Order: sequence, then structure tokens, then C-alpha cells
Amino acid sequence: MKPENAIEVKNVTKKFRVYLDKGHTLKEKTLFRRRRAYEERVVLDEISFEVKKGEALGLIGHNGCGKSTTLKLLTRIMYPDSGTIEMNGRVSSLIELGAGFHPDLSGRENIYINASIFGLTKKEIDARMEDITTFSELREYLDQPVRTYSSGMYMRLAFSVAIHVDADILLIDEILAVGDANFQEKCFDRLREIQANGTTIVLVTHNTSTIEKFCGKAVWINQGKIAFYGASTEAVDAYLSFMNSKR
Amino acid sequence: MLERIKELYAYREMIASLVKRDLKGRYKGSALGFLWTFLNPLLQLAVYTMVFSMIMRAGIEDYYLFLFVALIPWIFFSTSLAGGAGCILAQQDLVKKIYFPREVLPVSYVTSQFVNMLLSFLVIFAVLLAAGYSLLPGAVLCLPIIMAVEYVLAIGFTMIMSAVTVYIRDLEYILGILTMAWQFLTPVMYSLEQVPEEIRWVFQVNPMTHVITAYRDILYYGKMPRLETLLSAALTGTGMLFAGWYVFQRLQRRFAEEL
Repeated sequence: MKPENAIEVKNVTKKFRVYLDKGHTLKEKTLFRRRRAYEERVVLDEISFEVKKGEALGLIGHNGCGKSTTLKLLTRIMYPDSGTIEMNGRVSSLIELGAGFHPDLSGRENIYINASIFGLTKKEIDARMEDITTFSELREYLDQPVRTYSSGMYMRLAFSVAIHVDADILLIDEILAVGDANFQEKCFDRLREIQANGTTIVLVTHNTSTIEKFCGKAVWINQGKIAFYGASTEAVDAYLSFMNSKR
Repeated sequence: MLERIKELYAYREMIASLVKRDLKGRYKGSALGFLWTFLNPLLQLAVYTMVFSMIMRAGIEDYYLFLFVALIPWIFFSTSLAGGAGCILAQQDLVKKIYFPREVLPVSYVTSQFVNMLLSFLVIFAVLLAAGYSLLPGAVLCLPIIMAVEYVLAIGFTMIMSAVTVYIRDLEYILGILTMAWQFLTPVMYSLEQVPEEIRWVFQVNPMTHVITAYRDILYYGKMPRLETLLSAALTGTGMLFAGWYVFQRLQRRFAEEL
């Protein structure tokens, strides 16, 4: 792996087993062989790209093109069938917000649970508590159970935790539509700050203007292959004109 | 391997918070709350005492204690296995959406059961004391060892069972009956001497036999467990941990897709 790179993806192929009629039980697995038949669908076909340290990369493409799968492979929720993915540094993902939140526990307790799922130790959480609280703007609600929160408050708390996990590589999937316009602006400011501190960011979104605004480079994935890989404005142009031509 | 251990250690706070959440949440909503952790074993003991001193006489002195000091460790093991099998399924939302070392789930399930057993041991000690039993200090020092061995053994088995359950959901239910049968192949309700010679070899290959025997030696007979017992328990325990971890490693790669 080259030292200036944070992520190297080489010839990665991912196939999904699409079960025609999936059986999970022993009976179904043994008796109904035919039901277990599956088709292999290639979701990603030999894709390769690399991201330099401190760079922000956007992933674009239409629904089901494989961009979320790419992100899941990067976070190691899934593993590629062939090819290699190398990452340099601590990885954090903003794919699912509020993981492990328990409605009966207070906001404060949930911060501990949620942050611990991101791999933070108690000491690290203690050190970030103040920043998380301030960012979420929920100080006076922090000792109330989370079930009393509105959905906006819930997301704000979740986002505040996620954004304070100091990672070297940050993976974000379509979650920036959090809270009102002001809070969204604040999230972007915070992300820019994080990026300025040298964190590498990979962003998946359908919002092409976000990509243009935020990412230097972009990858357009179409039918499991990389259709375009280069400057984000050019990638967005190519993608949009392709989408328009299909209409 | 070392990498994985390091990573698991980095996620210790997650294990701790899952255990805390489980212990806190278990008796939530009940009037007596956490007190049930102690009441449960105590009431069980009361039932056993009644049954075996009034209805069915076992011919073993203080049979209720003979049974109780083996039953509590056994319950820890069987619950870890039968209940822990579903621990990955139960957290599928997390598994599908977030990365963390998957071992965290079986480890924290077993740990929470283990803490529960430790609390039950307070009841055991209190009852032994009240019944006028005296324990050999040297033997009691062996207790943490045998507990650690049982803990490791349970983690090994639970890792395999929880991983296989993701692919074959029946296992969760099969295990319910399997652990029941297993209990009768372990000297929990009777001593090894009462087992007919011909089938005693089954008991000998069963790793839990050594564990339970050691518990009973320490607590009921008040003597040092035999070195042989401790060693074979420790060996199978570590062996099982590595085997379990290996199988888990292989199976966990497709968790997110199978769930």
C-alpha cells in the first residue's frame, strides 16, 4: 500500500446470493433443495480506486448500482468475494445512526452505549462528553429517557455522537438530512473541520450538489462497474447527462 | 489472531455496556427488580430442599446442597449455550449496519450470564455457612480458576452455536433439548460413582463433568479438587475457546448477508 493513500480498493468483486425462496430452517434446507437454489448476482465487478489521505471522495450512481455495497465493504460489514481492500487508520462509519439506542435509558447513558459500539473506551467517551452535549444542543434533556425525544432530537443526539468519533477514515451514507436547515449547516461545518484536520472521507449521497460542494473527487458506479472516476464536477456532469438520456 | 484479540480489547467498553444493559434490563418493570437475581436461586433451593427431604430421599447427605452447588454452575453453562445461540440473530440490526468485532456479542452474552452466576454464588456461600459447612481456604482459592475455565468453555461453545444459528435457525430450539440431555450426562443430579461402569466413559469425555466435579469438591466436600480434574478441565476449556473462535471467524464473514 502506498504511504500517501488512506484507502486502496483493488479488483473487488462482490456477488450476492439471491435466493428464489429462502429457507432458513433445517427442514427447508434439507427437504426442499430446490428452494435453496439461488442466483448469483454480481453487484460489484472488479472495481478499483484509491483515496489519498485527507481527501473527500463521493460515490454516486442510481439506486441499486452498488454504491452502498461498496461502503459496506469498506466498513467490513461485508467481505469481498475477490480482490483486496486496504485501509490505513481507524475507520468510523456514519451509516446507521443511533445504533443500540435504548428508549428507556437517558440520553447520557445512550451516548455511552452508542459511542462504545463505535469502539470508544470509557475514558475517550468521558473526554468527548462535553463536546457531544454542546453539539447536540440537548443539554437540558440529557437526563431524560430517549423515548421522550422527538425524532429530530433523537437524530441530533445520534449524529453528535457519530461525528465525535475521531477517525482517520470516515464513511458516510446518505444521512446528512438530519434536523433542520441550521443543524444541517452545522453538520457540514463540522465535517469540513474534520476534513481540514486530515480525516479522509467517503460520502454516498443522491444529492449531487453536496458531492460537488464537498468532494474533490467522485466515483460514478453504474451496474457494478466504475463508469467514471475523476474530478467530482465532471463525474456529476457525466452521471446527470446519463440519467437524463435514460428518461 | 493477536490482531483480533487487540481489537476485541479495544471494544471492551461495548462489551461492558451490553452486559450492563442486559443486567439492568432483565428484571425491569418487576416490583422487586434486581432483588430477583438473589431470590431466584434462593427459591429454587427451597423447592429442591422440600422435594428431596420430604418426597424423594436421595440417600446423599444434605442432597439439596449436593445438587445446588452443581446446579448453579450448570445453569450458567446451559443458559449460555441455549440462550446465547440466538445472540447474533437478536442483534441483527447492529450486525447488518455497523462494524464491530462480532465476537463482542457472544462474549457479552456469556459474561452477563457469568455475572449472574457470581451473584448466585453469594447465595450459595450464605446457605453453606448457615448449614454449618466449613470450606478449605486452599480449595476456595481454586474456585476462581474453575470459574474461569467454565467461562472460557462457555464462550467457546456459544461462539460456535451463535454463528451456526445464523445459518440454521433450528439450532436454537434443538439446543434446548440438547442441553437437557447433556445435563443428565453430567454429574449434576448424581455423583459419578452412581453411574454404571459401562457408560462412565461418556461422562469422562464430557468436559463439563470435570468442571462440575471440581465445584462440588470445593463447595460440598470441602476438599481440594484433584489436579487431574483441574487440568483436564483447563485443557478442554482452552481447546474449546480456540476451536470456537476459529469456527466463528469462518462463519462471521457472511453474517450481514445471511441475516
